[in-house]
Amino acid sequence: MAPALAILAALTIAPAIYLLYSSFFDFTLLGTTPRQFTGFDNYEFVFTNGTIRHDLLITLAFVAIAVTMEMALGLLIAVPLARRTTSNSIASTLLLVPFAMTPAVSALIWRQLLDPNFGWIDHYATELGIMGSPVEWLSHPETAWVALVGLDVWQWTPFVALVLIAGLQGVDEEPRQAAAVDGATRWQQFRYVTLPLLMPFIAIALLLRVVEAFKTFATVNVLTGGGPGRSTELINLTIYRVALQDFSIGAAAALGIVFLLLLLLIVPQILRLVTRHTDVLEAR
Amino acid sequence: MTPLALRRGGRVLGRAAVWTWILLAMVPFVFILVTSIKPGAIAISVPPEWNFTPTLDNYSDILSGNTASSEAFAPLVWHSAIVSLSATALALAVGLPAAYALTMTRFRPRRALSSWILSTIMFPPIVAVIPVFVLAGELQLTDTYPVLVVPYAAFNLPMVIWVLRSTINQIPPEVEQAALVDGATRTGVLLRVILPLVMPGIATAAILSIVLSWNEFLFALTLTRDQVKTAPVGVAEFTGLFGTQYGYLTAASVVIVAPILVLVLILRRRFVSGLTFGAVK
Amino acid sequence: MSIVDLPTTRRGFLKTTAAVSGGAVIGGGLWSACGGDDSSGGAKPKTLNMLYATVEANSEAVKGVLSDYRDEFGIRLNMDTIPYDALQQKVFSELAAQSANYDVMIVDTPWMPAIVGKIEPLGDYIKDSKLNDTAKVDTEDFIPKVFYDTAVYDAKKSHVHFPDSEGPPEVDGIREQGFDVYGLPIQANALTMSYRTDLFDDEKEKAAFKSQNGKDLAVPTTWDDFVTVAKFFTRPSEKRWGTTMMAGVGDWSTDDFKTLLASYGGDGHLVTDDFKIAFNTPEGVEALQYYADLINTEKVTPPGTTSASWDTVTNTFGAGLTAMGFNYHNMALKPNVDGEVSYATVPKKVQEGPHFGTWMLSIPKSAKNKDWAYRTIAWLTSSDVQSKMLTKQLHPTRVSVYDRAASDDAVKEAFGNFYEVLGKSLEVGVGRARLTNYGDVSNAVAVAVNKAATGSQSPEEALTAAAGETEDALKQAGYL
Repeated sequence: MAPALAILAALTIAPAIYLLYSSFFDFTLLGTTPRQFTGFDNYEFVFTNGTIRHDLLITLAFVAIAVTMEMALGLLIAVPLARRTTSNSIASTLLLVPFAMTPAVSALIWRQLLDPNFGWIDHYATELGIMGSPVEWLSHPETAWVALVGLDVWQWTPFVALVLIAGLQGVDEEPRQAAAVDGATRWQQFRYVTLPLLMPFIAIALLLRVVEAFKTFATVNVLTGGGPGRSTELINLTIYRVALQDFSIGAAAALGIVFLLLLLLIVPQILRLVTRHTDVLEAR
Repeated sequence: MTPLALRRGGRVLGRAAVWTWILLAMVPFVFILVTSIKPGAIAISVPPEWNFTPTLDNYSDILSGNTASSEAFAPLVWHSAIVSLSATALALAVGLPAAYALTMTRFRPRRALSSWILSTIMFPPIVAVIPVFVLAGELQLTDTYPVLVVPYAAFNLPMVIWVLRSTINQIPPEVEQAALVDGATRTGVLLRVILPLVMPGIATAAILSIVLSWNEFLFALTLTRDQVKTAPVGVAEFTGLFGTQYGYLTAASVVIVAPILVLVLILRRRFVSGLTFGAVK
Repeated sequence: MSIVDLPTTRRGFLKTTAAVSGGAVIGGGLWSACGGDDSSGGAKPKTLNMLYATVEANSEAVKGVLSDYRDEFGIRLNMDTIPYDALQQKVFSELAAQSANYDVMIVDTPWMPAIVGKIEPLGDYIKDSKLNDTAKVDTEDFIPKVFYDTAVYDAKKSHVHFPDSEGPPEVDGIREQGFDVYGLPIQANALTMSYRTDLFDDEKEKAAFKSQNGKDLAVPTTWDDFVTVAKFFTRPSEKRWGTTMMAGVGDWSTDDFKTLLASYGGDGHLVTDDFKIAFNTPEGVEALQYYADLINTEKVTPPGTTSASWDTVTNTFGAGLTAMGFNYHNMALKPNVDGEVSYATVPKKVQEGPHFGTWMLSIPKSAKNKDWAYRTIAWLTSSDVQSKMLTKQLHPTRVSVYDRAASDDAVKEAFGNFYEVLGKSLEVGVGRARLTNYGDVSNAVAVAVNKAATGSQSPEEALTAAAGETEDALKQAGYL
């Protein structure tokens, strides 16, 4: 028990304490020592800086939009694939492909595919008449968001679908059949019988997706780098820039603490949803 | 149309839509496979060339370092493998006893600890990486294996503990009690009785941990230079100031993706069963 | 020279390291100080460690002379090459930890204001004839602008540029003003124009241009001519555009803009030495308007320009999509594209001022073998060695190397007129503001340039917003 807790604490509690402490000092990597205590200056920088506020907001928007789409599409894919047939088994296997791809690699590939001069997407989409003329995907905020969310949805919808397929396959058929006998429509059967039984799976998929979406770094760093303008600058990019390109550790620490507090407001709500529907915290 | 026909039509449409999605989702993978075996001159020709003589030159060039940067890609794959396997071994070694303890009802702070361990999955790596970067620099640990292995193990621990815990939970308490009655110690029970029974859980946790470690980018980008630089960090270097080497970039992408894909496809069932962290059965 | 004259930093170093490697260091320092006759200046190490960049500073060129170095010195020079982001993190954390891992480090210009206190000043070394036995350092041979912008700092006021950037660099003159030399420049990058000679020399194109514009088709030297020529070559139906630009968010778009700003008569440093914001000016607005018009109104750039960086530009020019293009190296065509490339300096409005930035080799204060490290960097940046590295596309930093290249037919055969153009560009190049958080300023400007280029904001709006962000950044860094 102890080694596991030590390792976990070393990468969670310890960094949080270190950052909390650092956030009250004028701390740059190559600055003078002893470091000067500056009180809440770093927090003032975080809260008065319009860019950072914007970056926090679009991070929330990104998580909300991407995860909602993944959950909805994942459910839509899972329902027809839930029956155990050979073709469904092949389909679920293929679903693993995008999901197993290294995110940094996925983003590099998407960049090439979306290139307006050489990319497959613009070429074939115009060829097939889906698009009138090539689209400069990464040049406009709207299309850059489509690309960024699209990449996330492409990569992670299979995860949601696979979890929900597993859930649907485990659902007892009897209650639904009983409802059918009682004259419930298919929608009613799904809504009032299957869906509640599926809730634990939906809850855990939602939790894992929200948590992971907040960690998005590799894909956005490689695909858009935060552009165009600052339209896709997720907070992880901002923290990376302040901490690891400017080496303003004190300012980055304050930013990190604010981000952590934001997560503490959101994630426990979802965690509660999970514990309500599952027995994750119970022993046998 | 009868409601039945309508429903059947709807179902066919639904299946068609799902299959369209699945096949379109294969495009990026097809793109890297095809481009990686194209001769360099036509790698990005527009319209894309489909009629060509496949070549493995890109693969031999990147693996041996016969590229503009002359950095061989093979060692990076090796670093990735060492880091992923070590982190997984570490996570399992510390995670198994922890998971066992958390299943024992007599263990008082069980619920609080369980809750805390699960909640650590939300801790953002970008926040953890800052102190690790500063301290690793001061302690001269940057670009060593431990500086990646320990954080990766920590990030994977909640998942490992959860998967193992749910497997142990399925073992009937009688099995354990019988062994204890026979005079075995707790550790003995864990090693000789529980361990064999949780092997499937271990396999599941291991494969998930390997995949997550293999794919990690932020820590590797920040904390490695060349001694332990991992493949996902190295692949981005095929695009730079002097343009993009499409053949090399795609070949390197295949080299990174292939081992994970093969592993996941072979151990498909184990992998999928671990996706829920064993939180639901 | 007596010990008392040693600058404090050097004396501090002697004190702290004397206990550890006393014999060797004092051997070097004292002997030379007392006019003794120890030619080595510190015991010769078996190996030295050098931290270097990858393609950004042409590591291949340096690798090509490592065996010569070994023959010359009898020392093995270990060279770690690391790509840009990781390199910066490595340099900063090595210096913060005051490690002795590296004897020589490559340093990029924007990092210097933050790290100058951890870098060994080289004035004493350059003046010490004992340490200049293997190579002639000859500072006056470095291109003046390159040398002052890259290597000359006042450690106490790291934000100030050396007041004179034209005269031949010379240590005494530099020190008189309170500055010192913190490294020797090895790879100098400046923005240059690449263009397709096969198109410019084509008789049909020439005739068509003349009938359209009433004058001869020529490589443009002013921005006014440039837009005319770029429009002429822009034929989207033939998959051909006039020029590339790097308008994606990143250092590249900041650098595009500061080039234009300087050529329109503004201060290309973006922020002055007394922290006045120099880009939110009539010249700045005019320059950015011209840039945005090229992309939005005249549409002479290929698709993807507003997300382009230097690699994208290399790809599009290389694939033959544009007649002209700008970059920091000699762009070439892909083997499957039929055509020829030549080079020219960036066009001007009222003056020239292409963005430039130079890598230099420096010695960390915490390094172990500083005397030998100095000899190493003096040798690596010497005229002869640079001439040799030029054949592997090093961008030299010395006047004599460019002079030699100009009369070398093999160089012209291999690289056309590129080095002639690069040499000219470096002579008039404009560097960056010296700020510990220049990255923040550059990012703010890049966002503004990108917004103007995509048309989502007017140049005035964009630059005003960037000026506000820059002011915040200057405050955050304690400058205001």
